[in-house]
Amino acid sequence: MDKAQRIASKQKQISISEFFEKNKHFLGFDTHQRAIITAVKEAVDNSLDACEEGRILPEIHVEIKRLEGDRLELVTQDNGPGIPRDSIANVFGKFLLGSRFHAIRQTRGQQGIGITGVVMYAQLTTGSTTTVLSKIETESTAVRVDLALDTKNNRALRSNEDRIPLEEWFEESGIESLHGLRIKTVMAAKYQRGKQSVHQYLRMTSIVNPHATIKLKVIGKDGEIIDEGEWIRTTKILPRPVVEIRPHPHGMQFGTLQRMLKNTKERNVKSFLRKEFEKVSPLVSKKILEHAEIDEKRRPSGLSVEGIQNLLSAFMAVKIQAPPTDCLSPIEDLLIKKGLEKAIDSRYAATVTRAPTVSQGNPFQVEVGLVFGGDLPSDGSVEVLRFANRVPLMYQQGGCLLTKGIESIDWRRYGLEQTGGKGVPKGPAAILVHLASTNVQFTSEAKEAVSENEEVLDELRRALFEVGRGLQGHRKRIGQREKSREKFDLINKILPEIASKSSSMLGRPEPDLSPIITKIMNAVFCEEEVIWDAKEKLARCSIKIYNYTARARAYTIIVKWPERDGVALVENERGGRKETLGLWAWRLDAINPGGMTEISFAVSGLSHGDWKEAEVFFRGNGEIIGSERIDESLLEEIRKQEGLKGVVEEFVEESPIQSPMTEVASEGDSSVEANGEEEWKSGNTLF
Amino acid sequence: MQDRSRSKEETVDALHAVAAEMHDRMMRGEPPRMTLPVRSKKNIAFDEKLNVYKYGSKKTIRDATSLGSAHQLLRALHVTEFMEDMIESKKSSTLREMYYISEGWGYGKFGSQNESNNLAEDLEIVTGCLREDFKLRPEEDGARIIGNLTFQERNRRGEWMRINCRDDVGDSGYGVPYNVESEKLQLVEHDIDFMMAIETGGMFDRLVENGFDELARCGLIHLKGQPARSTRRVMKRINEEWGIPIVVFTDADPWSFRIFASIAYGAIKTAHISEYLATPSAVYLGIESGDIEAYDLPSDELTPRDIEALKAEKSDPRFQSQEWIDQIDLMLDLGKKAEQQSLAKYGLDFVTDTYLPEKLQQKLGLVIG
Repeated sequence: MDKAQRIASKQKQISISEFFEKNKHFLGFDTHQRAIITAVKEAVDNSLDACEEGRILPEIHVEIKRLEGDRLELVTQDNGPGIPRDSIANVFGKFLLGSRFHAIRQTRGQQGIGITGVVMYAQLTTGSTTTVLSKIETESTAVRVDLALDTKNNRALRSNEDRIPLEEWFEESGIESLHGLRIKTVMAAKYQRGKQSVHQYLRMTSIVNPHATIKLKVIGKDGEIIDEGEWIRTTKILPRPVVEIRPHPHGMQFGTLQRMLKNTKERNVKSFLRKEFEKVSPLVSKKILEHAEIDEKRRPSGLSVEGIQNLLSAFMAVKIQAPPTDCLSPIEDLLIKKGLEKAIDSRYAATVTRAPTVSQGNPFQVEVGLVFGGDLPSDGSVEVLRFANRVPLMYQQGGCLLTKGIESIDWRRYGLEQTGGKGVPKGPAAILVHLASTNVQFTSEAKEAVSENEEVLDELRRALFEVGRGLQGHRKRIGQREKSREKFDLINKILPEIASKSSSMLGRPEPDLSPIITKIMNAVFCEEEVIWDAKEKLARCSIKIYNYTARARAYTIIVKWPERDGVALVENERGGRKETLGLWAWRLDAINPGGMTEISFAVSGLSHGDWKEAEVFFRGNGEIIGSERIDESLLEEIRKQEGLKGVVEEFVEESPIQSPMTEVASEGDSSVEANGEEEWKSGNTLF
Repeated sequence: MQDRSRSKEETVDALHAVAAEMHDRMMRGEPPRMTLPVRSKKNIAFDEKLNVYKYGSKKTIRDATSLGSAHQLLRALHVTEFMEDMIESKKSSTLREMYYISEGWGYGKFGSQNESNNLAEDLEIVTGCLREDFKLRPEEDGARIIGNLTFQERNRRGEWMRINCRDDVGDSGYGVPYNVESEKLQLVEHDIDFMMAIETGGMFDRLVENGFDELARCGLIHLKGQPARSTRRVMKRINEEWGIPIVVFTDADPWSFRIFASIAYGAIKTAHISEYLATPSAVYLGIESGDIEAYDLPSDELTPRDIEALKAEKSDPRFQSQEWIDQIDLMLDLGKKAEQQSLAKYGLDFVTDTYLPEKLQQKLGLVIG
């Protein structure tokens, strides 16, 4: 190599480093504190994506060690499919920028520059190589290799390559899996705790990936533990496999279209439109080209700027079917609930997954979760947990559409404090917002804040209203329960003491309290309690109806329970009948003044925390505090839908039906959780 | 207040009547209750005969249909029993002690000191007794007095002690005891023309240091903020028994207006005994709203709470005279308030040499010096 060549190659090398240096703010490496978060994020996102593709329940361990001189050692370990020896250099050594812009689907990897950036950052800041240990199922040994980046040729340089026997793999990986990937690197970085930390990132990741088990351990220079976290999976159901789709004409922008026209293999524009786009039939294709006044036979790459512009306006003028939405991977409400419960201890959780819809040719779906009460701090703003395609958004909260959606709702009517009915509400709550889309629009390259979009905002607000109403109902029940408890205290504790004290002070006989109690209470009360019987794995529900009126009262009590396949009512001695799906009814004998009747039953097939609160409805004369009168017209509507029409169906225990979801779970009886969810969801919103 | 003092038996009977109202209703199968006048500014009215504000005819029924009220009734019974015990054993306790004793009363326990103070007042109202009859003492100490006044106070050994509030006391003055009725305190003689009540300790000390009591031939009394019952009662006795005018010198802010109202018209919380505590002829000397501008005093902006308080005063029956309406409106207009000590802007002697003489001449026609 002569001098000139050396200089040229050096210049090129510098320019790639420079590119990295100049753009590190949106590559996520601008500060030492953020660098470690980004590195963890790239590794964990890859692990989750790989596990999802391999239909594996992820187990991810993150270990960070503080070294001398503001350096951290990062080790990530997963049980994913691993990477075949020959692909390792490709995966870790190349910037995969724009490599698959044609395929549209929802992936985590849309964000960031990938694991190569981590390798590069480590190399640039500490000169250290990145060690990869990979084990794939079909091979009996694992591969270990040290990687450095050849920035000149955009490829990885391998060194110290070695084969590792199985026992050593088990020992080093610390997981009992025949496949997996371990990455170890050293970088200039700083570990900090707080709202923007690795801990928070993993906590948020675990919320939207309830199927993953994630562990974090941060070790100081002297071996002391600085921080740790453990989020165990709460479900064995993997996210639905996502389908790749082609672009939809409505989402097209000039540059993208121009590039597609240039790169296509199709020989004429008509077949280009038909093959490269969703929902473009021969007829639609013809109409588009007629509108754009472009000849069907034209070569795609030969279109002028004007021609491309005409094509774009024709896309909007011609009627085209909306794109399919099965390319999205929502978390789905039951799993959000489980995810939230995994990370946050609360009293109440409500979740809503909206139906997928389309904005400018891009399918999207909004999901919202709200937890309330329990150990959540009641002073200060509620925690906002933002996600785009299951990736936590940790920065720029204020400028994000998802935050703006929350701020635009008057939470006061749902029982949260909020100054002037605007802004992030205050109170013991956390709100989760997830936007799943094939094309999440961000405000900047940093990809930390979702940009304005009317349709997304509209969907978001609808979802938030729905969880808000759920919270309102919960608070109302809490309020009524509180009120009943007060009344019970009054008649059982205070009143007898007033009677005995005044009698003894005056030396008079004690009065009979029962007529007084009737006058004070003058109502029928319902007390409801659901407790989890861990031994029997049953949710036990007890409903007590107290009649503190002067007359005998007769009611039918109707309880909403989480009916679905695999979930059954058991130990129900009073019998009763099915009112409709998810509603069970008991006709009670008249309760005399001062009397009480108890209904107790248990529900099998649930997990701890699935059912915490029973909603109780009644039919009969006179109100019941703590219960609502059933809406007969609504009930009739449901019956019609179900075709039950008041058929009295005696309770039959059903055996769980295997759901199609079971195939994706690796072990155990997880089928019940997602199956029948549709019906349960509809039952959820009816009252 | 001698005419209102009750004998031991009368007090116990009155307390039993409270328990009996509850018991009677329970025997008839009704929830127990206590009937009280409404104790807010909405239910105070000027009593033409007594020349002070008293509770009106609005009653509130506290009955055991809500948990809060039921607690109150139970507490009232516990307090009644406790008072009976004290009367029997010839002991007395402070309101604060009673609050702590209530710790052992189970469901009858007080949530705060304020609750126990209020209940003691409730019982005064329904029984027509005074808390002295119940052997309850207030926590706050009385005011300080300096000036050429001579009292006779019965000490702990039961002997009468003669005290001149100028010659027999130190710089902090004569401390007014919590009981200022004639069995404890007697007014002997004086050589003063008027009595000046002062809101803040700093101003009281300034006037003492400047010898204003001798200069203006007056008695000085330090109110210590909102004046205690005994402070108001002793001023009332000085005014009535010696025929000496009372002038009130406070900060210029909404709370000072209320201090004056409680001295001159009667306080809302103690409207049941206004005729024993209030001095209707008391004169508000200053600082008036207009003085802030007239004397160009250093001032502070009114806080939102101050503005709230001024607005509330506009619907308080005690502030309905034109003078008070003007005073309040002017303060709202200015948006400012001033402290007594802001007069020091013109030097330490300004208050005694200029401000007070001017105000006394203007309000009472008195010429000082």
